[in-house]
Amino acid sequence: MDDDAPRMDIGLVGLGEHGGTHAEFLEELGHTVHAVDLDPRAKERFRDRYDATMYEGLDELFAAGIDAAIISTPNKFHETAALKAFEAGLDVLIEKPLAHSLDSAERIVERADETDNICMCGYFHRFRNRCRLAKAYVESGRLGEVTHVDARYMRRRGVPGLGTWYTSREIAGGGALIDVGSFVVDLVLDFYDWPDLEAVIATTRSDFGDREDYAYLEMWGEDDEAKMYDVEDSVTAFCEFEDGRTAHLEVAWAANARRRHEYNIRGTEAGVSLDITTPLESVDPSGRNHRDFRLYEVRSDVVDHYVDSELVPPANDPFRDELATFLAAVETGESPDRCTAEEALAVQRVVDRIYEAADRGQV
Amino acid sequence: MSDGDTGRGGDRIASVGTAFRILEAVRERDSVGVTELAEALDLPKSTVHHYLATLADDGYLAAEDGRYRLGLGLFTLGATARTGERIYHVAKPNVDRLADATGEQARLVVERDGRGITLYQAAGDEVDDPPTYAGDVEDLHCSAAGKAFLAELPENRLDTFLADHALEPRTPNTITDPDELRATLSDVRDRGVAFDDEERDEGVRCVASAVSDRSGELLGAISVSAPVDRMPDDRFRSEIPSQLRNVVGIVEFNTTYSEWSDAL
Repeated sequence: MDDDAPRMDIGLVGLGEHGGTHAEFLEELGHTVHAVDLDPRAKERFRDRYDATMYEGLDELFAAGIDAAIISTPNKFHETAALKAFEAGLDVLIEKPLAHSLDSAERIVERADETDNICMCGYFHRFRNRCRLAKAYVESGRLGEVTHVDARYMRRRGVPGLGTWYTSREIAGGGALIDVGSFVVDLVLDFYDWPDLEAVIATTRSDFGDREDYAYLEMWGEDDEAKMYDVEDSVTAFCEFEDGRTAHLEVAWAANARRRHEYNIRGTEAGVSLDITTPLESVDPSGRNHRDFRLYEVRSDVVDHYVDSELVPPANDPFRDELATFLAAVETGESPDRCTAEEALAVQRVVDRIYEAADRGQV
Repeated sequence: MSDGDTGRGGDRIASVGTAFRILEAVRERDSVGVTELAEALDLPKSTVHHYLATLADDGYLAAEDGRYRLGLGLFTLGATARTGERIYHVAKPNVDRLADATGEQARLVVERDGRGITLYQAAGDEVDDPPTYAGDVEDLHCSAAGKAFLAELPENRLDTFLADHALEPRTPNTITDPDELRATLSDVRDRGVAFDDEERDEGVRCVASAVSDRSGELLGAISVSAPVDRMPDDRFRSEIPSQLRNVVGIVEFNTTYSEWSDAL
């Protein structure tokens, strides 16, 4: 980023996996990290890795003269930390999802508005060049009218730290859908420019959580003892938005299917296939690292023919760009153009509707 | 409570100890007369009478037709003592939900001085007559919660416990052999769940899991118990343990982050 950017004092609340990544980038960018967590184990790990000033509680941290706060606690505790930060007059970046429940998410947005602080939510894929380009193709009308998006975020064996808080309904607010599925909802809503959801049919499954033969191939998060597991590990949903536009969502932490994170955006004139599957470092049985990003068209010069064009934007680190965007917003006082709390609330509403639809289906 | 009666040196006030011995003795008997109590405690009848009258006067005993029961003054003290336990506040709603979800008796048990004390309990729809009550005490070696505690003890403290406590049989299933108990506790550590298979009361099965905070400090245990006919093997060994692990995980998290959830 910009070398002339001012050095800031940033408060980190929640020192797990995401907190660590934020700290790393903040240090790289020359900012000072002030950190708090209530979990002694998380604190100790963090202290060993980063040069941060540690605090005992939120009040102490928020009174320490920091410029902004980044909240990456377990979902259930986002609200307490965010509300206190707003009261202290701080702009806030909250890890996605905005909260563990729709009510809690609404309260966060309400207080951010009332206190007039910037509130951004970490749906970082929106900063990925590939996603930005796909969105630009939709917006420019090059695809004609987009009528359907087929979206899949599927891991084969990627239940996050099976038994950590991610797998507890009370603390996370749900399972695969609110975790990785919320990324999918965010991108789909963005491609469609934030439409109203009119109808949804959905099914949630829990096929892997309690299995003692579960094979840890794609470990994400802390390796913790398997205590809690009362959430879904996969979801299938069909959404109908205003004007009859539709989306099919497949989300899984674990499934016996090809691992992928991709979006097929179908327009009346052209389509885009956008593959943003993260290459696996630990396990890569296929060796397939090529990720498709293509424009599908039909032309009629001489003979009718297909045109499949490869789109090749430069790679970027979206997590880092998201952070830089937040810091720039704090500096200028202007809300960012993406990943606002209002958008994150719209995502939360759709996630909530999908859970509702799945519950209805199961009665 | 008799464990603490000796060896405290010269600053121990004997009459306070006697007063509590009397209260304990009344508790064990539900209702008791002066003569019976004097004989049981091997104290002069007039002494026992003075104590009983004083305690009744202060509301800690209730006198009726020359017999004495525990008074509600003790309830005020007990209930207040419970309110001071952090784990009680965090665990209570989850114990309620567990009772609701299982339809059975769910309890929060804490360990004090080598015994388990039921700090709170909730009964699900299936329970007509709860076999235990809040404040109930239990031996550790024969109860699920007790074994969950013992499994968390470091080796040297377990040795001390076994040296100090005879493993009294309560039912034909009670483990009375220290080596067998050690082997069981090692299973408990592996599974994170302890079982009482009719070891405390015949006809009752119980499953428990210890609750610790994130620094590893043992806070208590949560258990679910039911009559054997409602607790067949798959429910006993698999279904209830999994429900219990969910609840214990939540209580542990909420305990760690209680400062950040109180505001909600």
